[in-house]
Amino acid sequence: MKRLVATLGILLMTQSAAADSYEEHDYILNCSGCHRMDGSGSRTVPPLDAMPELSGKPGAREYWIRVPGAAQAPLSDARLAALMNWLVERFTGKTVEPAYTAKEVGELRRNPLRDPIERRKAILRLPAR
Amino acid sequence: MSRLDHWFEGMARQSARRVSRRHWFSRFGAVLVGGAALPLLPVARAAEKHTLGEDGVKGPEGDPTRCEYWRHCAIDGFLCSCCGGSHTACPPGTEMSPVTWIGTCRNPADGKDYIISYNDCCGKTYCGRCMCNRNEGERPLYHWYRNNDINWCGGAKAQTYSCSTAVVVKTAKEAQPEK
Repeated sequence: MKRLVATLGILLMTQSAAADSYEEHDYILNCSGCHRMDGSGSRTVPPLDAMPELSGKPGAREYWIRVPGAAQAPLSDARLAALMNWLVERFTGKTVEPAYTAKEVGELRRNPLRDPIERRKAILRLPAR
Repeated sequence: MSRLDHWFEGMARQSARRVSRRHWFSRFGAVLVGGAALPLLPVARAAEKHTLGEDGVKGPEGDPTRCEYWRHCAIDGFLCSCCGGSHTACPPGTEMSPVTWIGTCRNPADGKDYIISYNDCCGKTYCGRCMCNRNEGERPLYHWYRNNDINWCGGAKAQTYSCSTAVVVKTAKEAQPEK
């Protein structure tokens, strides 16, 4: 009987999947509605799984914060920095070196891109560092 | 003390004279069977519907066909549960949009906040039944990030809006800050 109760307890605990971190919570609440949970985007929204194309290119680091989705997200600089460190690693497979800080993110997001698509094409034309 | 004994004795003898044992058994049996059969009556089942609903929530807040349902706290649209679908599934002939409006709602049963995804169902003409416009935590259009007035069917094959679902994604770390 005790074992049954314990098993049921464990099952119940694992049943309700909680967002594991604030980064994941912020991703679901602020990004996943349009970019979708797996980052695949849609006909009208750019996919996040195309981020590895830019990885290592000069300007990519700044670009990822200055795109409208990141720059205008209703998050503090510190939360956005933490989210973007998590997000870039999740979709490029590489850790951000050095990690984004609240100060850096704050300065970049106050200068958002007017034409993100054009900027992306320009970065893609550059050779990787 | 003896007076009480006498009184009880008198009562017992009187009832033995007036009520037959069979009569008593039949009445007692009727109470037992009747009590057990009561929940089978449609009236009892109808009342039960509102005692404990979806997600263990009582009353209208636990009924997915009502606007008051707790998951509908940030919804703006027709309830799919009223339009041939359910609160998690689209009606036949419609397609669930992959892009969606996301917010948080508090479940009154456990007091926790949950991330809710209001996926729209698209491809058939608008349902027109059970309009629900609660929009808790929504912001004007110039805060495009927290505005749900755009057509979320933009990501689906057909852009026609039919109705909205309310799917739990995960438990939230905190309530949406705009609330």
